[in-house]
Amino acid sequence: MLSDVQLIGTTGSRPGAMGFLTDTTLCIGCKACEVACKQWNQLPMDNFGWTGHSYDHTGDLGATTWRHVAFIERLDGADGQRVDVMPPFQSHWLMMSDVCKHCVRAGCLEACPTGAIIRTEFDTVVIQQEICNGCGYCVPACPFGVPELSLFDGKAHKCTLCYDRVTAGLEPACAKACPTDSIQFGPVEHLLERARQRVADLHARGVTSAYIYGDRAVGGTHGIDGLNALFILTAEPEVYNLPAAPELPQDKVGRAFLSTLGAALALGVAAVAALRRL
Amino acid sequence: MTAKYERTWEHRRAAGRSVSDEARTSYYGLPTIHKPHWKWLIIWYFFLGGISAASYVIATLADLLAKSHDARRIARAGRYLSLATLIPSPILLILDLGRPERFFHMLSILKLRSPMSVGTWGLTIFGGFCGLSALIQAAQDGLLAWARPLNRLLLALPRRAIGLVGSVFGFFVGGYTGVLLSATAVPLWARNFLLLGPLFLTSALSTATAAVTLVLALGRRVNRRALHVLERLDRLALAIELGLILAVRLNAGAVIGRPLRQGRLGALFRWGVLGAGICAPALTHVVGRLMRAPTRLVAILASSLVLIGGFLLRYVVVMAGRASADDPEAYFAFTRHTRPRA
Ligand code: SF4
Ligand code: SF4
Repeated sequence: MLSDVQLIGTTGSRPGAMGFLTDTTLCIGCKACEVACKQWNQLPMDNFGWTGHSYDHTGDLGATTWRHVAFIERLDGADGQRVDVMPPFQSHWLMMSDVCKHCVRAGCLEACPTGAIIRTEFDTVVIQQEICNGCGYCVPACPFGVPELSLFDGKAHKCTLCYDRVTAGLEPACAKACPTDSIQFGPVEHLLERARQRVADLHARGVTSAYIYGDRAVGGTHGIDGLNALFILTAEPEVYNLPAAPELPQDKVGRAFLSTLGAALALGVAAVAALRRL
Repeated sequence: MTAKYERTWEHRRAAGRSVSDEARTSYYGLPTIHKPHWKWLIIWYFFLGGISAASYVIATLADLLAKSHDARRIARAGRYLSLATLIPSPILLILDLGRPERFFHMLSILKLRSPMSVGTWGLTIFGGFCGLSALIQAAQDGLLAWARPLNRLLLALPRRAIGLVGSVFGFFVGGYTGVLLSATAVPLWARNFLLLGPLFLTSALSTATAAVTLVLALGRRVNRRALHVLERLDRLALAIELGLILAVRLNAGAVIGRPLRQGRLGALFRWGVLGAGICAPALTHVVGRLMRAPTRLVAILASSLVLIGGFLLRYVVVMAGRASADDPEAYFAFTRHTRPRA
């Protein structure tokens, strides 16, 4: 059972932060969000083929895929046996529309050496295409595997939380298109409140596995400090290809430089000792 | 621009594991994070930049600590070598960008928590020192006699002080590359964040010592004592390097360290990095002494091996990191260790 703190959680989002709540218990896997995102943002198509391991032929987020619907087929229960009883909820499928988490403290943003990645007035994280020089450092710096260098223009791309639409007072294309409101858009504090109610409701209905992913208690304890794109999940985060306790990579920079400084001093002394004999 | 956009799906299902086996602990075994695109250009940069940085330091110390002919020869070789290996570095880095023509965008901002940003600035400043010291050396060698005023100016500059300040940046350039790798989500690198900087710095020193030795040994006049001094320094660096490499392997653990143990990379790590790069040079010296082989020959052989090993080390660290980024099990082993939920 989850304790109250784990169930409720908080994020470090700044006041006025806008974000997503992706409630996976409502997702029907229609991929309307993927298509709406591609259309609004004019993203080219990906590989026209099959992944060969599931019903999911998109695979993951990337330079030309900013919403990705994961299809998780629960083939067997915890004991490894094929389940033959239909659960009361969601049959044997988990579906989740994955997206950039617009982290409260973002690894991609801190890594970017050109300043291309900025924090907007909505507390979202956006890559400015006219600044990015395609160094690719944000790509491995994201703890969720979101940005990617495009083969088309050499620059890094990811979800902008429809910055253009939001400045114009519209909701992002994916949230607009979602027919079940699995994707909801709004101020993060409202979304968090709604997520808490939804999780409590799900628990009351017997889905005790439901929890919020992306608050301080779950996703943000290691320096990320919460996500502006929250999720309601009903299984281990790893099953959805999400890390349980992601870390902010830049929290290691100071200590890494210190240990390197220590090595520099030691090697300097060694070199002085050796070269003195010349 | 037309580009063929094909995603390739790597199936990393271990033999005997079914789709549902994979689906229980990961998302069908698909990578959770994106690996960096860094490959050959960056591996060469790590190798050459390291040699440039550490040979500058060696040259400075030789100039500072001793007044003998040997010291002067080492200083000269170190300064020229440092410049020669520095020149390709920015070229490699710029070619690696998705938009090379925008390289200067990195020089309009400094972000202290981004090793890529501080590294760019460090390399730029070090490049200035490296070029200046090489010019002073050229003036000392009489190569600039045709440009009188410049020659006089260069000879009047405080050579040793410049070398000392430049060496600080040299140490930085030699080590920041390890920090650069550490500050990512790549499990193999992030798990070893305290070790990669020291490892790259030590490898920079050992490869630079080997490169200076090689230059001296291939030159016309060789002094055996100078070669011996350099050999002692190299031996020390290699011993520290060996300790750090083993610490990395141990610290990575069974799952995250898999690429260092298994397959082609694992073999390269064992036989190339540890065998050819560290054990073989030591063995060469022992055998050389036993057989009373000419010092020069032994030095050439041993330092070539050290250089090969140093290159392979960069190759293995970069490629094994990429492999660990592709492995969801490795990433989850890294992000699960303090997980709050039971
Ligand atoms: S999920 Fe990744 S790309 Fe999105 S804000 Fe966080 S670190 Fe950046
Ligand atoms: S690829 Fe572009 S956005 Fe990403 S870190 Fe480099 S400059 Fe910044």
